[in-house]
Amino acid sequence: MSNPVVRIEIPASGEYLAVLRAAATGLAASLHFTYEQIDDLRIAVDEACAQLLARHGGADSLRVAYLIAGSRLQVEVTVTGDGLSAPRPLPKDTFSWQILKALTDDIDERVDGLGVHLAFSKHGGPR
Amino acid sequence: MSPAPYGADVGGLSGTGTGRYEAVETAAESTATEVDDVADRSVDRAHAKELFRRFTQGRDPALREELVGLHLPLVEYLARRFRNRGEPLEDLVQVGTIGLLKAIDRFDLDRAVEFSTYATPTIVGELKRHFRDKGWAVRVPRRLQELNLSLNKVVAELSQEVGRSPTIGEIAAKAGMSEEEVLEGLDTSNAYQVVSLDAPVAGDDAPSVSEHIGAEDEGLETLEYRAALGPLIAELPERERRILYLRFFRGMTQSQIAGRLGISQMHVSRLLNRTLGVLRQGLLEDGPA
Repeated sequence: MSNPVVRIEIPASGEYLAVLRAAATGLAASLHFTYEQIDDLRIAVDEACAQLLARHGGADSLRVAYLIAGSRLQVEVTVTGDGLSAPRPLPKDTFSWQILKALTDDIDERVDGLGVHLAFSKHGGPR
Repeated sequence: MSPAPYGADVGGLSGTGTGRYEAVETAAESTATEVDDVADRSVDRAHAKELFRRFTQGRDPALREELVGLHLPLVEYLARRFRNRGEPLEDLVQVGTIGLLKAIDRFDLDRAVEFSTYATPTIVGELKRHFRDKGWAVRVPRRLQELNLSLNKVVAELSQEVGRSPTIGEIAAKAGMSEEEVLEGLDTSNAYQVVSLDAPVAGDDAPSVSEHIGAEDEGLETLEYRAALGPLIAELPERERRILYLRFFRGMTQSQIAGRLGISQMHVSRLLNRTLGVLRQGLLEDGPA
């Protein structure tokens, strides 16, 4: 059986980030993440989306896919738009990268015809 | 500032406050009738009068202090009416004492009124102002405010019990709520904003962070973003900068930071979320880089 995926698409605006946070919170809770792990996840989702938007003018929407793999939640955020400015990878020496690195288990960024994808995953549960 | 209305009726605080204010108004109700009892029990009125007589002559600070000490039970009594609103009682007593000081300085012995009757509206006014100034950043329904406050307690207790951050299921079980309710309450937690970020943290339950972070700033300064972020980070209160550093550069968990700074984990969470919000807003105002 393949891993369940929850997909959400929001307009490229900070106003709708709360929806993404709420979804992340609900999914993480169902995976028995602790309160702190959930908070970390929420911050990571915020940060990933905020800096994708900040680095890319002309974005139409943000697509987020939450993939559930056991007690691990994988999150992929994609910024898309017809007039999307040239992809600019997130430099590794930025505060954003540092934040994501500290809050998640792994991060990866890639660019393809659809847009810029930033993916990270976080393992949860009482330890 | 004009003196508090002479003999004002505390129970009759007008206004149709909503949410938290409503709760405050209710808390203040019925105080007027009971204040005299408290005063009777705790204050030797003749002694107080004599002190006031001498104080009005020379404004001797020592006498003022004695008057404060004498009426502290009244402040404590009034402050207790406002507890369970998310503020430590000691802080409320401190705030109320400011009101007491104002009342002492303005009290006129020639007025045929007991000091406790005169001082009560001033003290209550100070407490109410405190709640107004430290209100919720976003209008949060009272039900959610109360939910959030009780969750604060449960999370703190559970963390102690299990020695780690609790899961939502554990919180729900302990609080006797559904997981949905817990999630709703936690969603609210970061809408609670104590004061503007520029304001020094006052009346807080944390010991002041006296350690300097000088060397610890290095991590923050080596970042490429320093040109844009630097000034924003420099403006942060020291404690917030320290939390950023410990969380993101030292990899400490919120609980560990909480232990180190002597505040609750949820407080660390709030400060962290708020600080990042401020930084992001600052960066976004410059438009896409």
